[in-house]
Amino acid sequence: MKMIAVRDLRHRYGGVEAVNGISFEVAAGEVFGLLGPNGAGKTTTLESILGLIAPDQGEIAVAGIDIRADMRAAAAKTGAVLQATGLQDKITPREALNLFAAFYPAPLGTEDLLSRFGLVEKADARFETLSGGQKQRLALALAFIGDPLVLLMDEPTAGLDPQMRREVQDHILAMKDNGRAILLATHDMEEAARLCDRVAVIARGRIVATGTPHQLMAEHGGTLDDVILRLAPP
Amino acid sequence: MSALRALTTVSLKLNFRNRMALLYGYLFPLIFLVAFWAVYRNDPVPLALHVGQFLTITILGSACFGLPTTIVAERERGVWRRYALMPVGHWVFVAAILLARAALLLTAALLQLALAFGLGLPVPTHPASLFMAFATASAAFLAFGMVIAMLVDTVPAVQALGQCIFLPMLMIGGVAVRLESLPNWAQHLSAFFPGRYAVEALQRAATGNGDAGFNFLALSLIAAAGAIAATAMFRWDKAIRPRRGWLLLAVGIWLAVGILAEWRGRVMVSQAEDRRDVGTATDYVAAKPAPSTTPTTSWRDVTDTEIDGVAFDRLPPDQGIVSPVSRSDETPDPALQPGLDRIRDTLPGWAPGNVADPVQRARNLLAIAAVPDILQMEQFERFVPRLVFARLQTVIPPRELPKILYWIALHPDDGDDNAVHQLAALGLPDISGSPKPVRGRIMIYAFKLLGRLSGHRSAN
Repeated sequence: MKMIAVRDLRHRYGGVEAVNGISFEVAAGEVFGLLGPNGAGKTTTLESILGLIAPDQGEIAVAGIDIRADMRAAAAKTGAVLQATGLQDKITPREALNLFAAFYPAPLGTEDLLSRFGLVEKADARFETLSGGQKQRLALALAFIGDPLVLLMDEPTAGLDPQMRREVQDHILAMKDNGRAILLATHDMEEAARLCDRVAVIARGRIVATGTPHQLMAEHGGTLDDVILRLAPP
Repeated sequence: MSALRALTTVSLKLNFRNRMALLYGYLFPLIFLVAFWAVYRNDPVPLALHVGQFLTITILGSACFGLPTTIVAERERGVWRRYALMPVGHWVFVAAILLARAALLLTAALLQLALAFGLGLPVPTHPASLFMAFATASAAFLAFGMVIAMLVDTVPAVQALGQCIFLPMLMIGGVAVRLESLPNWAQHLSAFFPGRYAVEALQRAATGNGDAGFNFLALSLIAAAGAIAATAMFRWDKAIRPRRGWLLLAVGIWLAVGILAEWRGRVMVSQAEDRRDVGTATDYVAAKPAPSTTPTTSWRDVTDTEIDGVAFDRLPPDQGIVSPVSRSDETPDPALQPGLDRIRDTLPGWAPGNVADPVQRARNLLAIAAVPDILQMEQFERFVPRLVFARLQTVIPPRELPKILYWIALHPDDGDDNAVHQLAALGLPDISGSPKPVRGRIMIYAFKLLGRLSGHRSAN
């Protein structure tokens, strides 16, 4: 089943065409990567699927639900790790997870998530005292709390040390193995190569190439970085 | 409902973990209360007359600063952007933050009232009306607080805009400075600020007859318009531009309510007057039967024994509210000096102070001290009596003055009141209404000077 279906998505910011006719699908148990330079349209695409942006045109379905018809039902099946989201300084991981659990009909257990994301020792510490890695793990735990069928992630490992990056990637792969559909926007080509079953290269609001990382490297030569630089120069 | 409960609980918890929020939410209202209590000279009755003011300040502070600061700070750090992804209605987030704020506001007000009762505040005459007035005023201002939160992007901007609304409302909106003390133009202007309607509604419930129909109407309209505007302007993310056009509705209703108030002729408030009864002359005579059993027929017959029979210790203190007199070593504020100089310089030529009858002359001069006291001319009223005392000692022979003062004090209803309406020449305002309060203050000031002249009261 196609868990994410985007067709002919278009959105302008003033006179700038941020997204210009993007279409793709993501299946259950698949990690689909959106690759491209800053300003290519990756974040606009993600935020349109999440309902944060009302696109000018296009159709979006999540888990078979047209988001324009029932955004709330779609949101119940979606988890997200976005840039520029935060939490209150004084909230604790346990309180945050309990709070966000209250928003979903069948949430996962708070204690289970604290354990899975290595936050047990920091469960009652205030958010302001957590390290960058701990904050990012909490962001992932919050994305997972609703037991989503679909996960959207915008640079989920940005700013993490290599060990923590590897841990987060392992969590994403575990979700994939669990049959979840994952849409990942990233700059990190190594990460894309490790995690993504397929990728789409976006340049100036359009998808300019789609395929598995290996297909793209074979087709265009060089590493995935070389492919991106060639197809979507900054 | 579990989402609403969870959010409200977390909002409250986070507020109690924030020292600044506690300071602004709970300590500042108490400081304002103590300030009102101290300013009005520790008298429980004046404190009761300021219930509307100190409760309105609490509501205003919460609405102009507390609520929008919380929302804008959370939105700035992306908390609301995260909330926007949740599968619950957007109203849940707004309702939770308003419920939490209402709970904080109510507890702050209860704490304020508890301290006020401790300081001698009488029980409100209409407790249910007081709660209703508090709820309606809170709704009006919290709705506007939401508008502020939707309008601005940063916490410093909340502080700046909040001050732009808070301070004018305090100073010329009838909230911190009473309407009665404001000049006419400011009273008209205050009709366009919601603060005065909150003060009036709360005050009428606390000490009045509870009838505050127009105030409830004004506050309800302001609450409805603010809620509609805030809903229309709602945004999860500061990157989304606010729909500023709706601000016209939120502020336009202030204008509409002000016009309605002007049209209904309920804007102007008469000047504050302290017309409290100071009792009768016999209240200040130690041996009460003495004056009546041995009645004198003329001021010339007054004896030292009669003067010694006055209970000078029963007179209001010189540093009190009624008939204050400055200490001899006190220097008036430089701002008061021109007014005092004018009285001193004009007094020799002031006709009522030179009439032939020495009793009426003294009575007329004492009126100069009595009227500013009635009108509560703050610091001014304390320095005028000393000018009057000096003038009396100049224009009336020393052997006659004690007898005349005693006579005036014991016969407060004698003589005429024409001098009261000739004070403009001295730069003092006119006073209307019953002459009885003025005559009462003339009596007290006559006793006070008599006490000084006879050595029964300190000349300081």
